[in-house]
Amino acid sequence: MATEYSVTPGKDLETIDINVNVGPQHPATHGVFRMVLTVDGEQVVDVDPIIGYMHRGAEKLSENCDYRQAIGYQDRTDYLAQFNTELCYVQAVEKLAGIEPPERAEYIRVILAELNRIASHYMFMGAFGTDIGVFGTAFMYTFRDREIIQDLFEEITGERMMYAYFRAGGVAWDVPEDFRERCREVLSAVRKGIGDIDGLMTDNEVIIARCRGVSPVTPEDAINWGLTGPMLRATGLEHDVRRAEPYCIYDRFEFDIPTGIQGDVYDRYLVRLEEMRQSVRIVEQALEGMPEGPIMAEGLKRTLRLPEGEVYMRNETPRGEYGIYLISKGGDKPYRLKIRSPAFSNLSALRAMSIGSYVADTIVTLGSIDIVLCEVDR
Amino acid sequence: MIADNAWLDGLIRMGAIALAMPLSVIILTYLERKISGRLQQRLGPMRVGPYGILQGLADTIKLLTKEDLRPQTADRWTFELAPFAVMVPVFLAFVTLPFTADLFVRNLELGLFFIIAVSGVSIVGFVMAGWGSDNKYALLGGARAAAQLISYEIPLVLAVVAVAMIAYTPEAGRGSLNLVEIVDGQGRVPFIVWQPLAFFIFLVAGLAELYRQPFDIPVAESEVVGGPFIEYSGIRWSMFQMAEFVSMVLISVLASLLFLGGWNWPLGNGAGIALQVPLIFVKTSFFILLFIWLRFSLPRLRIDQMMQFCWQVLLPFALLQIIINGWVLVYGWPDWTLGVSSGALTLVAGYLTYRAARQAAEQPVSPRLHRVGSVM
Amino acid sequence: MLGVLKAIKTTISTALRKPVTVEYPSTKKELPHRSRGLPVLLWDFDVEEPFCTGCQVCARYCPVDCMTMTMKDNPLYAEGKSKRKKIVDKFYIDYARCMRCDICVEVCNFDAIVMNNTWEGVELSRYDRHDLVLDVDQLMDQSKSGELKDPFREPMGVAHSGWTPKVRSEEEKEAVAAKEESGEE
Repeated sequence: MATEYSVTPGKDLETIDINVNVGPQHPATHGVFRMVLTVDGEQVVDVDPIIGYMHRGAEKLSENCDYRQAIGYQDRTDYLAQFNTELCYVQAVEKLAGIEPPERAEYIRVILAELNRIASHYMFMGAFGTDIGVFGTAFMYTFRDREIIQDLFEEITGERMMYAYFRAGGVAWDVPEDFRERCREVLSAVRKGIGDIDGLMTDNEVIIARCRGVSPVTPEDAINWGLTGPMLRATGLEHDVRRAEPYCIYDRFEFDIPTGIQGDVYDRYLVRLEEMRQSVRIVEQALEGMPEGPIMAEGLKRTLRLPEGEVYMRNETPRGEYGIYLISKGGDKPYRLKIRSPAFSNLSALRAMSIGSYVADTIVTLGSIDIVLCEVDR
Repeated sequence: MIADNAWLDGLIRMGAIALAMPLSVIILTYLERKISGRLQQRLGPMRVGPYGILQGLADTIKLLTKEDLRPQTADRWTFELAPFAVMVPVFLAFVTLPFTADLFVRNLELGLFFIIAVSGVSIVGFVMAGWGSDNKYALLGGARAAAQLISYEIPLVLAVVAVAMIAYTPEAGRGSLNLVEIVDGQGRVPFIVWQPLAFFIFLVAGLAELYRQPFDIPVAESEVVGGPFIEYSGIRWSMFQMAEFVSMVLISVLASLLFLGGWNWPLGNGAGIALQVPLIFVKTSFFILLFIWLRFSLPRLRIDQMMQFCWQVLLPFALLQIIINGWVLVYGWPDWTLGVSSGALTLVAGYLTYRAARQAAEQPVSPRLHRVGSVM
Repeated sequence: MLGVLKAIKTTISTALRKPVTVEYPSTKKELPHRSRGLPVLLWDFDVEEPFCTGCQVCARYCPVDCMTMTMKDNPLYAEGKSKRKKIVDKFYIDYARCMRCDICVEVCNFDAIVMNNTWEGVELSRYDRHDLVLDVDQLMDQSKSGELKDPFREPMGVAHSGWTPKVRSEEEKEAVAAKEESGEE
């Protein structure tokens, strides 16, 4: 990690570092994140990230809701990967309650979660392109295709963002009749969209110049910082919760875990791009194997009551390892709910990654972390 | 001569320019938004008028009626005069810019020199805006603008010098700074054939002078949020905007005059005004469209890379081009040697840039990463 | 430089495709049947009264406590026109609080509340956020005027295991409502 930096002003000329306040309202902060850059000309001497602008007490709110009501709040932690966070929560509840969701529900969950991963990575590509200076073009491309995915989600769940569709024990209601065909249409559009992004950004020399070697992270550092997700995989470690500790039915699918070598911004970009293709693969396999049948486990009470106990469930969301730690003391509400937010851990490495780089690099580094501030602040 | 009196004549011509330029800015803002919409698979402005053609006008009215804000801590005169310092030089350059053989305000003997000298002054305006706003983004942006515009002024001037060296007129022989003579010299063969290297250097440096992608570092939206213009609003901001678009026209016209034969090529000397105007219009539009197209396709360079590119690639090759031109002129070699040598140099420069750019790209990439399970 | 050429080739190839945007207020995308707008109440055209009996079950399950309602004796029942003993008296939904989770639709025993799946509806811009608290007439307006023709009501029942959707007779509904009232768990 680039940590050594020394200010060497000339002997005759006095230079001073200035503080530049980036955020909470700034085009590059992806939400309400604030960082105070101390800059020496164009070089960054210090970064002071300040979070908490989006704190809503999601954990506490969930503790005051019963297990169905809290699903709506899970959507709102990571508002770009709602199905993934919902999945994590309902699986934690299922694990503690010992509910076995039916096969079809599991397949629906996997398909939706993977499509959501694609949508989230699309969002990353667009925002990253804007950070790096493609004037809106990457954003428009990705939003065009994200819209197609969201249309599908709207047809299934009725909502475009806050789905509240998964339930402990299954899914709220069945997918429409033409689900398979619609999914295939979406997948072909996604492939085309990935091709567009690929053509616009991957081989572009300007992108490579801007991203190669910017804020590289070694695997050791990545583990020490607790980085997960594409940030970790870009350093070369092949760690994916879907493979390491398969949840849901991920052990049935064949997919590769893309890894980088240098752990720099470009590798993170490539890892995400490749992950999108892998998600397409998973969805295709899941569509093949999706059975007919019930979508809800049998014998559930109308209000779910959990036995005493505690459970930790971790999922691979697009940003990394999303964990839910749930303690139940009986009754219909959790005693404690703790969310392990991947973007928060990844963001903690921002200071170490940025010091010594240029202002423009810091912006790109922040973009490459792919933060969702709702999830960081919870 | 439009009028008998030289003063009156000059005034009328300048008035025409002063009217035409804001009009072209209005058209260009609309065009840019519309073309960017198409490039991004959008519709672009559609509301004001059929297909939104009155959008530029609506924008103008909005900007003119907007409140002209000045931060309390701003340095008053620096802040308020900065837009003029940016805009006036750009307009001044049009005094001697010929659009056709006789459509100009005044054709100066040192016209090219005048344009270069005057348009360089606008850098002061950026620094004034950056300093006067009392805003750190503006300060960073102003410093970036100063560094970038001054640096790229040099290859731009050298590329222009290369053309001025080989400009040929039967009366004065080689070498001219008179734009009409330069254009007349390329009646059959435009200078892009003799000087491709200078053309590319001029294009890249011109792009940087316009601070458009991939050189929009001074105004980088995601870094310094508009740079020097961050505190400006209303009419003063629109003056910066106008300066940007007018200088885009300036660079485009200049490029078509210097390298594409202006109003002559491909029809040769003596094309009437009815042909000259469309010729120069098409050539200028080509460059403007190219600039807009590039803007929405390319990301932005970092400031150190941009500087490196200027001082390590553009400048040496510009000098090389001048030296070669000197040899050819001194020894009186035929014109085609110019074209061949410059073309070869262009290829070398392109290859070197490509190599340098690929070097970063060719660092090891995980074999797992490179389209592992490509489903495409 | 080849990558740059590839990039500009990509943008020009996109420019040749058909634009994907539509001019929103004049052209509207067709909403899917399941589209979830804000919750509205349904009007029973057979008896000319609301379906809702004001049984409070949606208010109890609402995660954000955005609903309040009261119940009264049904005058039409006394006249013998309706089978509902009780009917909703006042019903308030705070649209500013509602998070459109669909749980109220899921738990409703009378198919009385649905999510609005039409473009027409309550325009949500208000100068005062208190104006976003809608009363029973405003909530009923969508259904009463016939704009809300085909609401999506499948969640009713399916989400609870072993409770397949079936058409209940009015007596059964009453019984369930009474059970709900007397303490649901």
